[in-house]
Amino acid sequence: MAAPSPDLPVPAELVPLADLAPAITEISVSRRRFLGFGLTLLGGIAGATALSRLVPVFEDTSSAPPPIVPAYDPVGKAWTFVVDSASCIGCGLCVVACKEENAVTEDGEFARTWVERHAVADGAVYVDSPDGGMDGFPATSTAPGAEGKTIESAFFEPRLCMQCEDSPCTSVCPVGATYRTEDGIILVDARRCIGCGYCVVACPYGARYLTPAAERAPNDTPGIADKCTWCYHRISRGALPACVEVCPVGARRFGDAADPESDIARLVRERSPQPLYPEFGTRPRVLYLGPSVEEA
Amino acid sequence: MTISGRTLILAGRPIPLEPREAAGALGREIASMPRGLRLWFAVLLGAIAVAVPAALVALPPGWEVLGTTPTFEWGLLIVGYVFFAITTSGLCLASSLGTVFGIERFRPLEKRHAILALLCLTTAFGIIALDLHYPIRMVFGAVFVPSPSSPMWWMGVFYGIYLCVLVVEVWSMFTNHPRIHQVTCTMAACTAIVAPATLGAVFGVLVARPFWHGPFTVALMVASAFLSGTALLGMVFFAVHRLHLAGAERAASLAIPAIRLLLGLGLTVVALLVARQVLVGLTSDLPAFREATTLLVAGPLAWQFWGLRVVLGLAVPIALLALPATRTPIGTGIASFLAIAGVFVDRMTFVAAGQIAPTSVAGNISAPFAVYSPSLVEIAIILGAVAFVALAYSLAERYLDLDESDAHAVVTLPVPSLNRIRALLPSRRRVARDAAVGVGAPVPAPTPGSVEGGA
Repeated sequence: MAAPSPDLPVPAELVPLADLAPAITEISVSRRRFLGFGLTLLGGIAGATALSRLVPVFEDTSSAPPPIVPAYDPVGKAWTFVVDSASCIGCGLCVVACKEENAVTEDGEFARTWVERHAVADGAVYVDSPDGGMDGFPATSTAPGAEGKTIESAFFEPRLCMQCEDSPCTSVCPVGATYRTEDGIILVDARRCIGCGYCVVACPYGARYLTPAAERAPNDTPGIADKCTWCYHRISRGALPACVEVCPVGARRFGDAADPESDIARLVRERSPQPLYPEFGTRPRVLYLGPSVEEA
Repeated sequence: MTISGRTLILAGRPIPLEPREAAGALGREIASMPRGLRLWFAVLLGAIAVAVPAALVALPPGWEVLGTTPTFEWGLLIVGYVFFAITTSGLCLASSLGTVFGIERFRPLEKRHAILALLCLTTAFGIIALDLHYPIRMVFGAVFVPSPSSPMWWMGVFYGIYLCVLVVEVWSMFTNHPRIHQVTCTMAACTAIVAPATLGAVFGVLVARPFWHGPFTVALMVASAFLSGTALLGMVFFAVHRLHLAGAERAASLAIPAIRLLLGLGLTVVALLVARQVLVGLTSDLPAFREATTLLVAGPLAWQFWGLRVVLGLAVPIALLALPATRTPIGTGIASFLAIAGVFVDRMTFVAAGQIAPTSVAGNISAPFAVYSPSLVEIAIILGAVAFVALAYSLAERYLDLDESDAHAVVTLPVPSLNRIRALLPSRRRVARDAAVGVGAPVPAPTPGSVEGGA
């Protein structure tokens, strides 16, 4: 760089560099300190990145897939599920469809939806659900104590998450991983759930389980709480839940009861389906018709 | 604890820091131990050696090495966590009588209770970390996404505070800070009531489980905490007396009689609460509660309940404490062992009875009751946890000065004494005299002798 011309006027406020040297020495950062600061900063960034991987609580959640129905508005929806236990034939198609749709393990012990058989034999009621009713039911009840007894009468009761309005699962979760959407569906945030099982023991309807490390696991995350979502990924795009779609006898009905002209609103209005076990006070949103509620 | 050159001085004992010298010193130390102590350490290390691989297998999420099922989600690890957590609280509750309230006969419990409480709480946290599938998420989730509606969140908060308080308490105790020690002891005593109460609420709020639901679950949890903490101290002080460890004389003359009294109180309260639970359960209008209680007293849990819980865990210890012939240190030691084992069985039957009876015919419950048997992994972890507490405490007993000293002399909190209150109130005689002379009663200043406080 060329030296400044001596002809150029020097502004009066400019201070010669030599006079500033002591002050510059005082405020300048030594190389060692600068390197230390840089390494600390880098370490902090690396640590925060590692932490965000380890603890997915901080992950970005804004990349949800776009809905098929672009105008889907969760506000004002009153999703309602009605089960007609008088119609159910116990074929188990709903259970299979659910497992396929939601990547639930094929182990019969773990199910988002299942079918129970309430059988009367020798004057006593026996309840069984072999493999969640996935493969249908044998001629005799598999419930303990019912071996060899002839079934006099029976009905099938499809079960799933009741999406309770006063849901114990959401209030007991210690980390807010179980939450309610704007349209009233209770979901589990797979990135936040710690797998404590508190919601599993808090559910009076036995609708929850902790996902095993199987070949297939919902959300690809073993060890977290899982349950029926009424196929939220489908209903928010205008489709029916998988179990409703495959039921050959229409024992499972689903719709938005906020629309008074909908089939579900008419069904609720005309036949007054009832919740199971209202004594728990959780205000379930799955309603039943037929012997399920008549027996109770 | 000081470092001098390449030697660490711990409780007056030099410990070389050079690996080769340290190994040599360790060898000499082991050789100098009595044979019984060597055997004791070997057994404990063996149990821990089995538990470590079991813990490593239990940690990855979803491996299904535990015996729990979707219908019986809380098993032996939850029982172990509850047991160690409430025992921690009980230790502080029992010892607070000496430290916080200044009752002299309970003072010998101080140092040992603090060490045991810290060990039990860290063990409880270790067990719950193994039961949770994502323990790191729990810590960050509880801090960054607080959920005040959940009793489990509050339990985490209180036990977290408790751990911090205990660490400071132990530090202040061994570094001669009586004022800090006094404050932390008081805080620990308060937390010792709140923490097991919230742990009880974790179970008590569940409407879905009528056997657990209700306020008496909280009361039973706090009473069980007091009982198990006292019983653990009873076992330790019996060992101190029997093996002539530091403070053996005070153990025999003060600690063991004090523990006998507290143990009797705890056993009586717990026995009443257990009796209430059974009577209310059997006569309940709720079918699920009735069914759960029936399964407890006359079903698959009956042998545990009657044989282990009621007879060995309550009746025999009460008899040992009550009969003059067994009111001896060994009688108290046996009663303590039985009482603490009874509390463990009680937590086991409590957790089981809450889940064994179907609250509905939901899920895949195999009616008439759900079945759970703990896996070998769970059993190994619990045995390892017990061994860890025993080993760490044995090391503390051998290498730390656990005898009571003047380092934590009683620092009475400035609570107004009866004399001081009386001095502030106008006495009847003085009021009558002042009325006779027609002047207002002046408030006398408290005399120096009536004011308490100061170390």
